[in-house]
Amino acid sequence: MELTRRNFVKSTAVAMATAAAAGTAVSFAGCSPSSGGTNTGGGGGDSSMVADQTYTAVCRYCGVGCGVLVGVKDGVIISVEGDPENQSNLGALCIKGQSLAQLLYADDRLTVPLIRDDKSTKGTDGGLREATWEEALDLVAEKLKATWQTDKTRMAFWASGQLPITDGYVLAKFWKAGLLSNNIDPNARLCMASAVVAFMNVFSTDEPANCYADIDEADVFITWGANMYEAHPVLYQRLVGRKNTDTNVKHYDLGTIKTRTSEGAKTLIFNPGTDIAIANCICNYLVANQLYDEAFVSDHLKFQTGMTDLGNAFEDGYDGTDVIKNSGTTAESSLEEFASLVAPYTFEYTAELSGVAAADLEELAKLFADKSLKIMSFWTMGVNQHNRGTWMNHCIYNAHLLAGKYAQPGCGAFSLTGQPTACGTAREVGTFSHRLPADLVVANEAHRRYTEAVWDLPEGYLDEIQANGPHTVKIFRDMSSGKYDFFWSTCNNWAVSMPNLTRFLGKGDKKGIIDTFVVVNEVYPTLSCQYADVVLPAAMWVEREGQFGNAERRTSVFEKAVDPPGEAKWDMWIILQVARRVLDGAKIGEEDAFSKLFGFIWEGDDFKADARETCKAVWEEYRIFSNPSMKASVEALNTESKLKMEAKQLAPYDEYLTNHGLLWPVREVDGKWLGTSWRFNAGGPQEAGYDAVGVETYGEAGKAGDLSFYKTAGMKPAVCFRPYEPPALSPDDEYPFWFVTGRLLEQWHTGSNTTRIPDLNNTLPEALLYINDADASALGIASGDNVRVTSQYGTFEIKATTDKRVEPPAGRVFAPFFSTDNLINLAVEDIYCPLSKEPDYKKTPVKIEKA
Amino acid sequence: MAEKEGFRAAAFAAAGIIGLQSVYNLIADNGFLLRPPGIQSEEDFLSRCTSCGKCIEACPYVAIQAATWQAGIAAGTPVIDAASQACQLCHDFPCVAACPTGALRDVSKREDVRMGTAVIDEELCIAISKSIRCEVCYRSCPLIGEAITCEYRVPEAGNRGFAIFAPVVDAEKCTGCGICVQRCYVRQPTTAIRIEEAQRNQ
Ligand code: SF4
Ligand code: SF4
Ligand code: SF4
Ligand code: SF4
Repeated sequence: MELTRRNFVKSTAVAMATAAAAGTAVSFAGCSPSSGGTNTGGGGGDSSMVADQTYTAVCRYCGVGCGVLVGVKDGVIISVEGDPENQSNLGALCIKGQSLAQLLYADDRLTVPLIRDDKSTKGTDGGLREATWEEALDLVAEKLKATWQTDKTRMAFWASGQLPITDGYVLAKFWKAGLLSNNIDPNARLCMASAVVAFMNVFSTDEPANCYADIDEADVFITWGANMYEAHPVLYQRLVGRKNTDTNVKHYDLGTIKTRTSEGAKTLIFNPGTDIAIANCICNYLVANQLYDEAFVSDHLKFQTGMTDLGNAFEDGYDGTDVIKNSGTTAESSLEEFASLVAPYTFEYTAELSGVAAADLEELAKLFADKSLKIMSFWTMGVNQHNRGTWMNHCIYNAHLLAGKYAQPGCGAFSLTGQPTACGTAREVGTFSHRLPADLVVANEAHRRYTEAVWDLPEGYLDEIQANGPHTVKIFRDMSSGKYDFFWSTCNNWAVSMPNLTRFLGKGDKKGIIDTFVVVNEVYPTLSCQYADVVLPAAMWVEREGQFGNAERRTSVFEKAVDPPGEAKWDMWIILQVARRVLDGAKIGEEDAFSKLFGFIWEGDDFKADARETCKAVWEEYRIFSNPSMKASVEALNTESKLKMEAKQLAPYDEYLTNHGLLWPVREVDGKWLGTSWRFNAGGPQEAGYDAVGVETYGEAGKAGDLSFYKTAGMKPAVCFRPYEPPALSPDDEYPFWFVTGRLLEQWHTGSNTTRIPDLNNTLPEALLYINDADASALGIASGDNVRVTSQYGTFEIKATTDKRVEPPAGRVFAPFFSTDNLINLAVEDIYCPLSKEPDYKKTPVKIEKA
Repeated sequence: MAEKEGFRAAAFAAAGIIGLQSVYNLIADNGFLLRPPGIQSEEDFLSRCTSCGKCIEACPYVAIQAATWQAGIAAGTPVIDAASQACQLCHDFPCVAACPTGALRDVSKREDVRMGTAVIDEELCIAISKSIRCEVCYRSCPLIGEAITCEYRVPEAGNRGFAIFAPVVDAEKCTGCGICVQRCYVRQPTTAIRIEEAQRNQ
């Protein structure tokens, strides 16, 4: 632990200069011989290195979820290439995927458990000492058990969209059924929660109806607050590939700053928060001129109105307000009423509000009115990390649904994810504070009964967790106010990624993080480890078998290819070792609680079988949720409560290996397991990717577009009017700039992995603040100057640039969040969407001064 | 400030090693030496440069070093190894300001600089030869979209529907600063983009 990350990066820079100078850039990726081989050009590579064995896997980084093939020689990864058989990427990769062979081998891997004896050393480089697993696990279990037995509200687990599916499932089962606690939430709260709430509101089922292959057939692309060029590199490569094959294909990029995605697109820059007005403007044009799809509307849609004036989440106690309790409430409405509500959003009014020219808005609206055009909308954090993020998701669906452009080949509305298994784990296995596995929620009695049946729990056992638990921001706010005693996270670097770090790292007046007993499962020393009381060394990526679920509903398995270093262990082992200690002596009915929950995979002090067999056994239990016919009691409840659980049917484990990933729902047809490219669409056979089995089982045939939204009440998704409401905070004289945060291609999220791959880190070693030329000269800032960025929340220093990789308009600045040297989240507001509780990372008012 | 000094110290240490070991990186096959901004032509430069080392001292990024004896007649003159530390095109050009002889002269903005021209080796470049989404050179260029653009190419048959994002240098606008070379993802056997003699004189 002597080598802190900051030091590490610096010493790496020197090492790189040295090695590059010596013409041997291979020697510094760590001590292993694997570090060569990867970073050579076209025909390059050391031809003497031939893999003994090749394993199928999935890239560890972004939500695109590219399949990769991992070549291993003598127990060390020597190559990683795109997997041509994984249909999500067909072999394509970006440089992050290309550099995966070096991921495991940086020299500061965590290989032994670490314990902090003196809390006053928190937030510093030192203070952690080596320990045995026995000591570390006993300590973690003792603290968790004590908190659990005295006051369950004072403990929490922060899960992740990077934790493999089986591990997430076991974790959810331990926390929800074992500890009877909803104090668990994933980092997906920071990126996908708005998308999830909207999916559930509109379709009563999470995740997109379309798939990546739709890109190959679309006529128009619209990116809404999505810098796909940088954040979804391979998917964007496919999008540009489509544009290349047909010059009539159009791309409109809507955002608050100009990015590389804007290049080659028609760029519509709007004022922060006014995207809702733009979507409403499109809807207004469609309904005022009767240009919506009448058959689609009458067959498939209903109309609702919802609460307005939600206010904003400034205060810690905000969650308890009546507005929030009622905000989900909607009332039945009509097309006529919807038309009158969107009527104010004329081209002129919307142009004035948004800053987008009226003629451009009209051009956009006319695309939706054109019945012959196949439109694919894509969106990410600009829409989700938004003080009205859930509403903005609704509004995109409103436009697509009114236009009849949804769930069809080449035509639909697609919510992209940022993490490799935000869908597969965070969302699908129930690690949210309000969820159970497979789209079930704790507040619904039938859902609890169903979960009890799958888990063999006494009826009513889960009633204790019927009230939703705290969401992520609430956990952190409460923890910083001293309301927590135990906090555990895995596959997360919250000390870099949370907004308002000034408060949450105890740098302000709230020191709660110092007193809380913090456990961090990690692979490399991160800033979060500096706040940990115990650091548990985890096996990473292909050092264990695991599974990811990507943005297009593709579940893929990554095989174990090499052994973890030192004493590092996979997360599932760590979780169960703590679980068996905490649950020691606990009973469910007459039975021992731990064996009841995990006896099917665990015996004594270890797993019953190897990792492959363990994953399979966990998968087979998890699969019961979406294959109720596997268990009679479960099947009876599925029928009785009309849960339609096969809506997200999963296949037997081996099918994912054989097929290099499959899109759920996966259907068994004539003994073969077939994925679904277009949910709710019966326009063709299951073999061709249509949801033939789902619609036949639960839906209605012969409706407009051959669609049937069979998961939604009455089979009718709602178009619900959502008004434009201004951002929570806006620039003023003191804080005159909008600060927008985001991602850039070379580094992934908090950089805890990508900064450790020297050749990759060298491509973007420093985070910069992008500022407009005019703003820079008005402030007397030259490109390359250090500046201080300050909001009412906090402050940080960073180097400014007027380079044009990112081009903010006047009054807006942008910076990525990967760098620990520039902790930009120290200044980001922790104001969130009242419905999804997802923070708005895109609109903090700041001032900028020369440092 | 302390940080900057730390950086300088580290960079000096690295530079020392370069001086000893890395002549290869400094002298291209064709004998081209990358000079600091303000060079007019190699001939003009050699006729004026006295190897005083003032530009070397002035550079805050320690991008400039004195060429070693392997450089022959040019030994002792200032050169840049872009792959390890490229010129960052400082807005106030301290190197040019420090040059007492006018060997470095006549640049007031970065667009004026003509140190050389970046040239891409299409076989080594993984964006072009392997359709990997890379284009680091493009994104790192201070004149992105001008000196270097990203051309969307249709892959050859059988290579899926994913476009090739090919970096293309505009010799008219490229300054030869070498930032793209320093950042290039490919390091072996050399970087896939390198600086050669300026293809356009000012
Ligand atoms: S980072 Fe994303 S786009 Fe790049 S290889 Fe990995 S999954 Fe694919
Ligand atoms: S412009 Fe700046 S970085 Fe470039 S050589 Fe001159 S002093 Fe060094
Ligand atoms: S040398 Fe490279 S970075 Fe510098 S201007 Fe030319 S293309 Fe851009
Ligand atoms: S950085 Fe190097 S490998 Fe990447 S696109 Fe540019 S020249 Fe090619």
